[in-house]
Amino acid sequence: MENTFIPAMERSPEVDFRFRENRLSMKGEAYPEDAAAFFGPLLQLLTAYCETIKGQELQVEFKLDYFNTSSAKALMNMIQILEHAVVAGTTVNLTWYFQKEDEVMREFGEDFSMELQHVHFQLVEI
Amino acid sequence: MLASDHHRMKLESNQQGIIFSFNGFISEGILFALGDALKKKMSLDETNISTMKRVFSVFVEQAQNIIRYSADTLAEAGQEVNRISSGVITVGSEDGRFWVVCGNVMRREDAIPLKARLEKIRGLDPAGIKAYYLEKIKDTADPASLGASLGLIEIARRASEPIQFDFLDIDDLNTFYCMKVFI
Repeated sequence: MENTFIPAMERSPEVDFRFRENRLSMKGEAYPEDAAAFFGPLLQLLTAYCETIKGQELQVEFKLDYFNTSSAKALMNMIQILEHAVVAGTTVNLTWYFQKEDEVMREFGEDFSMELQHVHFQLVEI
Repeated sequence: MLASDHHRMKLESNQQGIIFSFNGFISEGILFALGDALKKKMSLDETNISTMKRVFSVFVEQAQNIIRYSADTLAEAGQEVNRISSGVITVGSEDGRFWVVCGNVMRREDAIPLKARLEKIRGLDPAGIKAYYLEKIKDTADPASLGASLGLIEIARRASEPIQFDFLDIDDLNTFYCMKVFI
């Protein structure tokens, strides 16, 4: 699949999905005016991509500073897609970065990790 | 008179610890601009990073609730993103703690289920709020609410004490709703 890059905007994160290298990352803030319009196409891309990488290894990085609840739902959706990919035979390594002393983002990392039984999850302070 | 009236208003706001108070039609653009000023103010005051994230989150969810659920709202068909809705949103600090207040008019029939939701959330302890959040974030069966349940739980999760809310019937059809949250 072709790589997808969306630069960070005032209210939406940088999306760097390097499908050809099996490296996906998102960073910045996420409270778009229309979360469905922003995340919907990304969720579709991710689902289609995960179908094509069975037996391979995927690196995912989330380096988010803030997201609103509509975006949180979309992130949970992404995490569930990744979990399904592992069940279908892909190795997924997910790293969740949070800033030192940012308890909110650290706790979100813990929340999401509780949903993961098969994805290799790492919580990293930066 | 003009200056003395407004100076008195300004002094009263200052005495209440108000950082800003917005009353009127609010758009997504105003949400962004007020949020930007709020972040800068907290950053200049060297507010702890977790507190900044919590205050900002409560502000964004409350402002989005006004935009989406105020009964006093204007939007062109198919232009949902450009919706403007009337309400009041105020951020302040008191004895070193931040607070955020929002208020808007609602249809009475919409206020009843909101009140029930808020009472449920207010009755939960922090562990219960977290569990409820994790339950609702996975719930995709509730598209009509635009994620409002999760927004209210997020607000309660970032609060340092139970949320305060109140409803006032203003006529046969409408209720004024407001909520105050200490972070």
